[in-house]
Amino acid sequence: MAISVRNLSVDYNLSHVTAHALRDISLEIGKGEILGLVGESGSGKSTVAFALMGLLANNAKVTSGTATIGGRSYDLTRRDATAPLRGRGMAMIFQDPMLSLNPVFTVGTQLCEVLRRRLPGGDRKAHVAMAEEALAKVKLSDPKRRMGQYPHELSGGMRQRVVIAMALLSEPVLLIADEPTTALDVTVEAQIMREIVSLRDRIGCAVLLITHSLGLVTEYCDRISVLYAGERLEHGTVKQVQQQPGHPYTRMLFDCEVAIDRQRAVNVTENRFTVIPGELPDPFRRPSGCIFNGRCDVSFDACATTVPDEFAVGDAADHGARCLLLAGS
Amino acid sequence: MIKAQRTAAFIASRLVSVVLTIAGATLLLFLMMRLVPGDFASVMLGPRATPELRVQITQAMGLDRSIPEQLWLFFSRIATGDFGVDVVSNRPILDIVMDVIPNTLALAFSALALALLVGIPIGVIAALKPGSWLDSGLALLSISFITTPTLVVSVALFLVFAIGLHWLPVAGAGEPGDTIDQLRHLILPSVALALGWIGYISRLVRASLLDTLAELHVRTLRAYGVSEYRIVGLYSLKLALVPIVSILGIGLGELIGSSVVVEIIFARPGIGSLIFNSIAQRNYPIVQACVVFIVTFYIIANLMVDMINALLDPRIAAGRG
Repeated sequence: MAISVRNLSVDYNLSHVTAHALRDISLEIGKGEILGLVGESGSGKSTVAFALMGLLANNAKVTSGTATIGGRSYDLTRRDATAPLRGRGMAMIFQDPMLSLNPVFTVGTQLCEVLRRRLPGGDRKAHVAMAEEALAKVKLSDPKRRMGQYPHELSGGMRQRVVIAMALLSEPVLLIADEPTTALDVTVEAQIMREIVSLRDRIGCAVLLITHSLGLVTEYCDRISVLYAGERLEHGTVKQVQQQPGHPYTRMLFDCEVAIDRQRAVNVTENRFTVIPGELPDPFRRPSGCIFNGRCDVSFDACATTVPDEFAVGDAADHGARCLLLAGS
Repeated sequence: MIKAQRTAAFIASRLVSVVLTIAGATLLLFLMMRLVPGDFASVMLGPRATPELRVQITQAMGLDRSIPEQLWLFFSRIATGDFGVDVVSNRPILDIVMDVIPNTLALAFSALALALLVGIPIGVIAALKPGSWLDSGLALLSISFITTPTLVVSVALFLVFAIGLHWLPVAGAGEPGDTIDQLRHLILPSVALALGWIGYISRLVRASLLDTLAELHVRTLRAYGVSEYRIVGLYSLKLALVPIVSILGIGLGELIGSSVVVEIIFARPGIGSLIFNSIAQRNYPIVQACVVFIVTFYIIANLMVDMINALLDPRIAAGRG
């Protein structure tokens, strides 16, 4: 495995109370693989990304966790453990391209800043040429002109391409894409995802794609990890999980997807979406037993008291889920 | 080049508004002066003036004409730079004002430069570790600078460094032509004038920088390993300075106002002391000329502010700021 994360736990300290954002999360991403990390809002997806980058808010604390990136091990409980990797071994693409670039510096300056970090001492002209080349690679039209433009002169999709070019220039081992298309038009989504995939193909890096869209995951990812209230409930290849979801939560998530060819009622108010009833559990007090117990449609008595271990789903060794229903099989 | 055209159009539209603003402010000033009760001649000459002298002065100042006519004369003359002749000294008023303007400009700009050179670094240092003892200490220092009146600072500096220690000259603006002497005379007044502004600017820089550092593009730079020094000192500071430059435009007017106090205490010839003396003598034409100058200066300063901001933030030049 090119990248692995072991037992990552993160707490947020909010005046007098502590919220457990992540509990013992583990992830593996092979070289050149794309792992989709899915879950509802508040499940802790982005916290995984920022814990890896060492960019958590000041009131967050990593209480346990190690990461192996590019053959070296990093103790994530130290805030700056992965600082040497930023811009060299790790790169990140953010959710809102309208806000993730500095508005008063040109695209060129911001791209060259990435090179200044990765290739210190290199000459400015070579950096400019490389930056221009990167813009061409992410299919931004007229790269020479774009270099001198400011972010406000570009559309959201174009700005996200600039950020992808930054990632490309830093030649990472691990690329983290935190909801890279959520803030964009659906029409641009596929283009941006294609650029991320082509970046992976060029560099051969591992990609952690954080998203709440199962559509994106099934389309672009090799593996999937399902996060719920800070716990990983299921992981496996996309194919395995799609065909045989091991956890009721995963199954219910897939059921929520609206098929494009679904029959619509003539009276629109009669159209019903499938939803998962209930809310995420209280982040300050973890309920005993299975974390998903309150919302599960197949729970039984033991679910309220026993925290399920991870069980293999089917015959595959790399497909597991934390559900007591799997205990017997 | 579309960009150059856009910039030119921006500057042209600003220039038109400058001319209109100066005309409007001058009109307001003219009418306000005419609202003051009593006639200028008798106020200026005192109760024991002969009627003949009064008529003579009234005619010389054009006060016997109708208000619209006076207004027309005033505007048409100041448009050609003619502010009239001072009835007391018989010198052209423009000459009197122009004699002292360099002193006031030197004072205002050296105070401004000092305030920026000291205030910005203090603000940046305070913003680096918000809540630390260093931040609290600098806050205390800045606030004490702001709250100490210019009058008190001037007198204290004057007593300690000029009278007590004899390090710096007591009064005046220095020998004309002797730059070193003029600079020595500039030190105490500009420090006195700058101190409050050092406090203001450092507080503003700190607040603005902390706001900027919370923006998402800072996270992008951090994610790509850009050093904190470059993030704070280059990428965030440029953005954080935009609101501060705007405030400086307004502040420059206040700076000229405070210079009245400083110029009087240090007996420096300048616009401030000229206004003060002219009001004492009821010499309204000179006051009027001085105020026209201050309005013009204030507007030019704000024009410069807009241009500097357009350079700092390209969104302002594009009309999207």
